[in-house]
Amino acid sequence: MLSELKVSPAPHISGPMSTRSVMLDVIIGLSPAMVAAIIFFRVYAVILTAACVISAVLTEYVCNLLLKKENPLESLGDLSAVVTGIILAFSIPPKLPVWAAVIGSVFAIAIGKMVFGGLGANIFNPAMAGRAFLMASFGVLMTTWTVPATIDPAMPQIKTTADYSDIRTQATPLALSKEAVKKGKDTEIVNEQMRALFFGNVGGCIGETSALALLIGGIYLLIRKTINFHTPLAVLLSAFVFALVAYLIEPQANINPVAHLLCGGLLIGAFFIATDPVTAPLSIKGMWLFGIGVGTITMLIRIVGEYPEGVMFSILLMNAVTPLIDRLCKLTPAGGKPNV
Amino acid sequence: MELTAIKGKKTFRGGTHPLEKKALTSECAISAGPAIKQATILLSQHVGAVCEPLVKKADSIEAGQKIGDSDAFVSAPVHSPINGKVKEVSLQPHPVLGRCMGIIIETDTENNPQKYPCSDKFDGNFDQSKYTSEQICDAVRNAGIVGMGGAGFPTRVKIEPNPRLPKHTLIINGCECEPYITCDYRIMLEWTYQVLAGIKLARKACGVERVLIGIEDNKPQAIETMRRAVLDSKNSENIEVVEVKTKYPQGGERQLIESILARNVPTGGIPPMIGLVVLNIATCAAIAEAVVLGRPLTHRTVTVTGEAVSKPGNFYVAVGTTVGELIDFCGGVTQKSAKVLLGGPMMGLAIGDLSTPITKTTGSITILTGEQIGKAKFERRQTACIRCGRCLQACPERLNPTKIAHAVKYNKLELAESYYINACIECGCCSYVCPANIELTGYIKTGKIYLARKKKKMPQ
Repeated sequence: MLSELKVSPAPHISGPMSTRSVMLDVIIGLSPAMVAAIIFFRVYAVILTAACVISAVLTEYVCNLLLKKENPLESLGDLSAVVTGIILAFSIPPKLPVWAAVIGSVFAIAIGKMVFGGLGANIFNPAMAGRAFLMASFGVLMTTWTVPATIDPAMPQIKTTADYSDIRTQATPLALSKEAVKKGKDTEIVNEQMRALFFGNVGGCIGETSALALLIGGIYLLIRKTINFHTPLAVLLSAFVFALVAYLIEPQANINPVAHLLCGGLLIGAFFIATDPVTAPLSIKGMWLFGIGVGTITMLIRIVGEYPEGVMFSILLMNAVTPLIDRLCKLTPAGGKPNV
Repeated sequence: MELTAIKGKKTFRGGTHPLEKKALTSECAISAGPAIKQATILLSQHVGAVCEPLVKKADSIEAGQKIGDSDAFVSAPVHSPINGKVKEVSLQPHPVLGRCMGIIIETDTENNPQKYPCSDKFDGNFDQSKYTSEQICDAVRNAGIVGMGGAGFPTRVKIEPNPRLPKHTLIINGCECEPYITCDYRIMLEWTYQVLAGIKLARKACGVERVLIGIEDNKPQAIETMRRAVLDSKNSENIEVVEVKTKYPQGGERQLIESILARNVPTGGIPPMIGLVVLNIATCAAIAEAVVLGRPLTHRTVTVTGEAVSKPGNFYVAVGTTVGELIDFCGGVTQKSAKVLLGGPMMGLAIGDLSTPITKTTGSITILTGEQIGKAKFERRQTACIRCGRCLQACPERLNPTKIAHAVKYNKLELAESYYINACIECGCCSYVCPANIELTGYIKTGKIYLARKKKKMPQ
């Protein structure tokens, strides 16, 4: 019989979603890209992803210990460190030494997230912060691209660095695109690779080469309503429009706009990184502004700037202005502003 | 004659879809509630001034006698549901206020006839024209009728013509969007013509022509019954049944208005500002009873439901019956640990004292199992906000619940106000959808109380 009456504020039931389930969905959404990464980069993909995930989780645990959290294991349960690890691993070159990946992962969690106060309080996407740190520290390693295991001998090989002379490296489609912009010609090299770009049979970061796998994961997230379509659509649309304008102005110097969408980190950025709820705006209007900012800055860097790729910078820059966007996009109540 | 079909699903922006769980009681016809030995009549069962007791200890009372009233405009008198003697006038547990003055009446005779519903007194031929607007308003006031959907705003104040705010449409709220609750649904099915008579009377009192009855599309039988009744009865021109989408909180009056008229009540305002009156189904039934039969509001239909009660059902219960008595009448609680709610699981109040009496606004008692409440509240901890924005999208008032809640949490009331904290209707959608399990609604409610105290609108 009734012996204990519980009380609490309404509502007394709650929806099925939890932070953990959201993160789990992101992990499931990233798994097609993981499969593609294993197909193209074999054991490197597995080793680096495992290294990043394990070091991310361990770093969070150590930070929790240092911060004297009541239960240092609790925050690991939300799986956000795992997601950060996977995304970081997916955005580094396949032949990056494991120690460098671990350093990036430790930085991502310790400085990118825990210093700000843990999940929910970080300003920058932790994985992108880690990648930026790696980029600044190990520039050469971070831009040395291995030929995929499903090797395409027709792909041009442009350089081999001294340290990694035994590895065949190649220019990524974006590096070639940059060359084309500089030279004002040779866009065909990239434009002819559309099929390879779509399936992922090109050089690039571990998880970003296969557009198909990322699209499958992205659509899964959309169907599960883990992310909403506004941010990815805004990113892709604005990038496409920018690339199209550039292409129409100077077709011999700028690659096909569709190729721009497929190559580099644009798709993983649009579906998995720009949609990181913590570092993106709250409102739908804000998400559009954020997405348009990411897409435009990416293309600015790719077409006008010095670097071949700009997804990481554009996301970090937009992360920085997210609080401003939130302030700009203040919602008006359904009944209008109260006249007080 | 053919039934009028209404095209397109009418709905509002935002909201959420909690499990409905209405099947527990939707087929349970309204049956007689417990015969009580003692009634606890609270003197505040409505929005507005608290009533003054009109009786004192040891007075003899007849069923239907007015025992508390107030001179204030926004108030409603209370009546005794039973014959008996006043046992005491003292502080009693109140679901919202904690404690409130109440009158306890004890039956002194064995011969205490039980009151029965009066739906058989009404049919499709009901003619409202023999009553004037004032007569209806006075009868409604004297019967102590208040909004029975939960808020408890005195009905007379709503329906009385006001030259400053002319009304053009009467909206009848038959949505019953809260999970579990089925009392209005049963009233629509069983007391159809009584409800219709009440609608006609309310329309007459308001001086409006057009009536829209909004019913969620998960109640096709109610829609069908009401449409058929409107077609079959006299004087029912311009009464239209509107099918609205099933979504919580469709039954919030602001949301219902947005759904069927695509208009928004101004923030901080009330429906009459845009010429509307919204009445609940049970209120309409009470209006018919009061005006035609002169019977005060002393009984109401209450759904007793939830997974933790033995025999759920819909009962015609005397106001003043204690929650414990009603639960015992339904076979008691099957669980060791449970949560007893006045109302549904989204907005209902969890009570800690089973001697809390049923009031005019208690539409249901929902008893959730320990396991259910554990899942929602006690086993899952509140974690940090991940800023996913789900609460913004679920908010039917288009507010920013996470910002408001966090402003309240850190005691920044001005900031909370700048995010329009007072526009919150406390529907609970934000807390329901929050993946971090944050008590957003709880924080916002707290913030509103703090603000009201700060502005001295509420005692400390």
